[in-house]
Amino acid sequence: MDPEKLWYTEDHEWIGEVNSVYAVGITQHAQEALGDITFVELPELEREVAAQEETAVVESVKAASDVYAPVSGRVVQVNSELETRPELVNQDPYGKGWFYKLADVITDDLNELMSADEYRAYLAKLEE
Amino acid sequence: MQYTPLHGEYAAHNGKVVDFHGWALPVQFAGIIEEHLHTRQKAGLFDCSHMGEFVLEGADAIAAFDALVYSDMRNLRVGLCRYSAILNERGGVIDDCVGMKLSEELMYLVTNAGPLEQVHALIGGVPGIRNVTAETTKIDLQGPLARDILIELGFDIAGLQYWNGKSATWKGESIVVTRAGYTGEVGYELFVPNAIGVALWRALAQHPAVAPCGLGARDTLRTEVGYPLNGEDLSEDFSPLESGMDRLVKWDKEFAGKAALEQQRKTGDHAVLVAIKSADRRAPRHGFEVKQGGAVVGMVTSGTFGPSVGLGVGLARVAQSVAAQGTALTAGPRDLPVEIAAIPVYAGGTCRKKFV
Repeated sequence: MDPEKLWYTEDHEWIGEVNSVYAVGITQHAQEALGDITFVELPELEREVAAQEETAVVESVKAASDVYAPVSGRVVQVNSELETRPELVNQDPYGKGWFYKLADVITDDLNELMSADEYRAYLAKLEE
Repeated sequence: MQYTPLHGEYAAHNGKVVDFHGWALPVQFAGIIEEHLHTRQKAGLFDCSHMGEFVLEGADAIAAFDALVYSDMRNLRVGLCRYSAILNERGGVIDDCVGMKLSEELMYLVTNAGPLEQVHALIGGVPGIRNVTAETTKIDLQGPLARDILIELGFDIAGLQYWNGKSATWKGESIVVTRAGYTGEVGYELFVPNAIGVALWRALAQHPAVAPCGLGARDTLRTEVGYPLNGEDLSEDFSPLESGMDRLVKWDKEFAGKAALEQQRKTGDHAVLVAIKSADRRAPRHGFEVKQGGAVVGMVTSGTFGPSVGLGVGLARVAQSVAAQGTALTAGPRDLPVEIAAIPVYAGGTCRKKFV
């Protein structure tokens, strides 16, 4: 996915749309901060998730962190390749390192998220 | 914040620096897993200059130290290293340490950064004991190729066996070398004057088989082979019997806290430190409660993903009733399945290899 065309959360998740299906992952900043990712726990298919609900867990060598749903929707696909190759999240966070995909998304939820420019500004502020 | 003499070298290798017991130290360079695997396959380079070193000169100085540890340090053979722990009057572990006899009445003592002030307060003022921490750069080279690399660089260590040490010279300076290790691989600790610390680090870091490693890889490597870390697995609240050192205690000598330990040994109902592993890549973490059938039976003291075993690995302090190898338990708020494992969890290490 083109990082410029995604929406971003303050918890460093991204979400992007293709044909009304929305892929979710964690950002370049998040994967760098976590370091080597060793395990990703993905949600069950068909699960209805609410915005800001815990939907996945990402473990690095150092720690485990929750991944929250950026928007409400229904899980229609999970990236099962991460079960054996969690390092894809480090290598390609906006591509092969996606976590899961949502359908029936409540698109109003997207208005609460940041654009690429806004997320960049948010990161700059965090580093101050 | 305190800085080691090698602080200026981290940036050249993209070191990411963190605060470790008040010391600015690299947590990683190329990445924890890469550094870990490199150490298991070739050789990892570690700046351990934050650790404490003391020189103990004379029988009385050695005896003063011997009185604080459960091991017999007075009769240690020249050239041998011995692992032990400095105890408080309650028998709690203030620090784990390694003593090495350089000559009949000269001992070199290595301690940790965290409790250094406390250890210094206990022994630093004893006549004949000198705290040389500030003047010493400690560099570890660990991995199956470590010996070849050091020989190539002119170190006289070819015949040095596991848990042996000696004084040597390098670039005309007196140094101390031990072969203890903290990774499960062949490992050397080089204690050199600060004046040649940077030169030694650079000579090693430039070697094609060497990768600089941070605290992150040091932690995954030691956890896979079941070595405890002071401040994580060891603390003053727990005795050697509760810290995996029960078989090392010399009961026929006097030492600080001995009465408390004897009492504990008599009652026999104390917790024990064991290795655990999970069934998959999910890791137990420091502070996780350990449960059996919903009842709390212990606490995880260290936990991480173990890159060489491909599983979560850790250490836990548990009740003896659940300490048998293979016992199934759960850990943490999400009830991660774990089982008691044999130490070392990673058994492929080269550390014991004999060289002629």
